[in-house]
Amino acid sequence: MKDFVLMMIGAALVNNVILARFLGLCSFMGVTTRIDTAAGMGLATTFVITVSSMADWAVQHYLLDAYGLGFLRTVTFILVIASAVQFTEMTIKKVSPTLFRMLGIYLPLITTNCAVLGVALLLVEGHMSFIGSTMFAFASSLGYSLVMVIFAGLRERLALARVPRLFAGPPIGFIVASLLAMAFMGFSGISAG
Amino acid sequence: MNPLATSDFHTVEGIARVVCLEGSVAWLEPEQTGGCGSCAASSGCGAKGIGTVASRMEIRRFPLANVDGLRVGERIVVGVCDRALIHAALTAYALPLATALGAGGLAEWAMGSDLATMAATAAGLSAGILAARIGAGRLAARGDLAPHFLRRARPGETCGTGEQ
Repeated sequence: MKDFVLMMIGAALVNNVILARFLGLCSFMGVTTRIDTAAGMGLATTFVITVSSMADWAVQHYLLDAYGLGFLRTVTFILVIASAVQFTEMTIKKVSPTLFRMLGIYLPLITTNCAVLGVALLLVEGHMSFIGSTMFAFASSLGYSLVMVIFAGLRERLALARVPRLFAGPPIGFIVASLLAMAFMGFSGISAG
Repeated sequence: MNPLATSDFHTVEGIARVVCLEGSVAWLEPEQTGGCGSCAASSGCGAKGIGTVASRMEIRRFPLANVDGLRVGERIVVGVCDRALIHAALTAYALPLATALGAGGLAEWAMGSDLATMAATAAGLSAGILAARIGAGRLAARGDLAPHFLRRARPGETCGTGEQ
């Protein structure tokens, strides 16, 4: 149990998908103009990363490893991720068309989010059990959502601040993102300790 | 008068175009096609192309009571309460995930086998999706998820320029 908790803290904070591994930067800069849209995107990505990691684990163990098809890993995982996004979209549409109209805009963006593929490939390197890999993927995506919401909050404040004209918009956004990344580096002290 | 326009609610705004009128109901097609808000802006990123397929837009059409004399082709600003968006996302995504992970964790603790854990996780996910369906039905019945008319869009206004 303790190992699981430490692994999850490590995946969410110490080796954060966005700020330590630099994955998913498109959505990090593109969808973080408001907290609510960032939270919506974060939850959708959390769902897709977790569900696709479950499917990826099964594909890796029962298909790629079993038949020596490891060289097809990246292509197969991309297919699994696209299927997971399609599954999510169909499910949301079936569960509630109104929800689909509200949340459907985030789903196509997730297909091209490299964080989803990055987490899936990290799981293969980790050689974990099914529950271990699922928890790792869940924690990684929670870390992604956390950073998205924090950054969206900072950008909402920035919108009200007096920023020099040359730095307004994306430049000050990148500076704030780098400061946030440095702040998250402090979590690496947990692993060192 | 629109209650959202005068109350303290924070709304998530979006631009929609009136595509047809049926009696007192106007059917709208949302203009924002990506989560990043590039919408009709001339310099959108690659995400712009993903959601602009006609069939995809048609799926996202929604009705609105036409009490403001809307006409076909008009661009209007609609809004939903920001809390409704968070509630919707929690219902659709967090609930199924929680049940799936809970069921998987229990199976791992009880049996310790990967196959049993996978089966339990899949069962938990299915149960969570059913629960989400019930929750979404309740939210929709309360009218929390329905968009409201806020105002007519200014010429050249996009979802990225609306707040300026």
